[in-house]
Amino acid sequence: MKKDRITKILLVLVLLMLPVNFYLIFQVAPTERIMGDVQRIFYLHVSLAISAYIGFGVLFVSSIMFLIKKNLYWDTLAYSAGEVGLMFSTLVLITGSFWARPVWNVWWTWDPRLVTMLILWFIYIGYFMLRKSISERLKKARYSAIIGILGFLDVPVVRLATKWWRSIHPRLSKEGGGLDPLMIKVMLFSLLTFVVFTIVIIIFRFRVAWAEERLYSILNEMEEYHE
Amino acid sequence: MGFVGNTFAIVKKDLLLELRAKEAISIMVFLSLLLLVVFNLSVEIDTENVSRLAPGILWVVFAFSGILGMGRTSLSERDDEAYLNIYFSSVNMESFYLAKVISNLLFLLLMEMFTIVSFVILFDYERLIFALAPLSLPLLLGSFGFSVVGTLFSFLSTGSRFGEIILPFLFLPVVVPILLGGVSSTDIILNGSGGDSPAKWLKILLVFDLLYFCISLILFRYIIEE
Repeated sequence: MKKDRITKILLVLVLLMLPVNFYLIFQVAPTERIMGDVQRIFYLHVSLAISAYIGFGVLFVSSIMFLIKKNLYWDTLAYSAGEVGLMFSTLVLITGSFWARPVWNVWWTWDPRLVTMLILWFIYIGYFMLRKSISERLKKARYSAIIGILGFLDVPVVRLATKWWRSIHPRLSKEGGGLDPLMIKVMLFSLLTFVVFTIVIIIFRFRVAWAEERLYSILNEMEEYHE
Repeated sequence: MGFVGNTFAIVKKDLLLELRAKEAISIMVFLSLLLLVVFNLSVEIDTENVSRLAPGILWVVFAFSGILGMGRTSLSERDDEAYLNIYFSSVNMESFYLAKVISNLLFLLLMEMFTIVSFVILFDYERLIFALAPLSLPLLLGSFGFSVVGTLFSFLSTGSRFGEIILPFLFLPVVVPILLGGVSSTDIILNGSGGDSPAKWLKILLVFDLLYFCISLILFRYIIEE
């Protein structure tokens, strides 16, 4: 029950933080001189990207845990986090496109960060396709754990390879000095909000998924009993 | 027999099987030829642009023909659950995986040689033959990476309901670093783009190969464990 209380506190916290975050982004943060209001997407875009990586990171760790422990609990956590990661990465690609159109004058460009996110997106689409194509529960968990592990390991290699290939993405760390201090504060708050938000929805998704898992196992037992 | 003995016994079995049935290699060879023809019909390739287009076309053909052929070799293990005989024998799964990687690598290299020769003939691009010596390193490293990932994933896909259909969806995004490394180093070797050295791309290929080989070697047993 202690876990329940923590979840509730996090939920209340995130419900308070989200509106504040949007207020900060749209009202408090100064308008960027060159890009104008479009630049405000960037507070969401970067936060969403971090959220997506959290989702995939949790998937990666839970996949390893599943192969070690052989407990479906970990597999359930893995795909719950994977779904959240996939949703956020889709939003990253969409918000990025909205930003790129006015700023870079294109909807899409083959920049390392974009390509890495897109490739990851494809890897996790494959992950869920594979899950769908296997009906046996433990086999599904084992096979998808392998994709969960190998897919995530690809991130640094793809990133490095595409970086050598070409790059025009704005570099935050280097241009950080040029950002207005207020912008940095809004950015940090947005990041924090989305980290908590991601954790909360992974927890909620996991609880639904885990309830489903238990329900199915009870139904299976009942069927076996009747036979 | 030890680890090495077991591994080579399985490689020998695969080669013998392939020599008699010629299933995987014929899929790879004919598909690569077909793809080259399709490329020629859809992209206008002439003596002016052939050297610029060659790296991309070659590696796309290697990837697609390779993945289909590798799907075939794992399917032949799945038929009649033949791999279970190996699973229940004294052979450990690491040597089984290694053997599969080696035999797939050999099939891939054979297909690549065939593709290169066909490319030279179809597109009248003799330069490719003379560049074969420097190209051998990216070809070897790239194919090894393809084989490492392809062998593992083809066993995953043939165990699923969708079968080989799902294989490209799993394989292609993961091997993006190999494609980039392979295409870029081939481009540098053929066209000397910007006076770059292919060394850094070969390094990427090597890092990918080592990383994925070690991890796949550990993970492979979880596929077979039924």
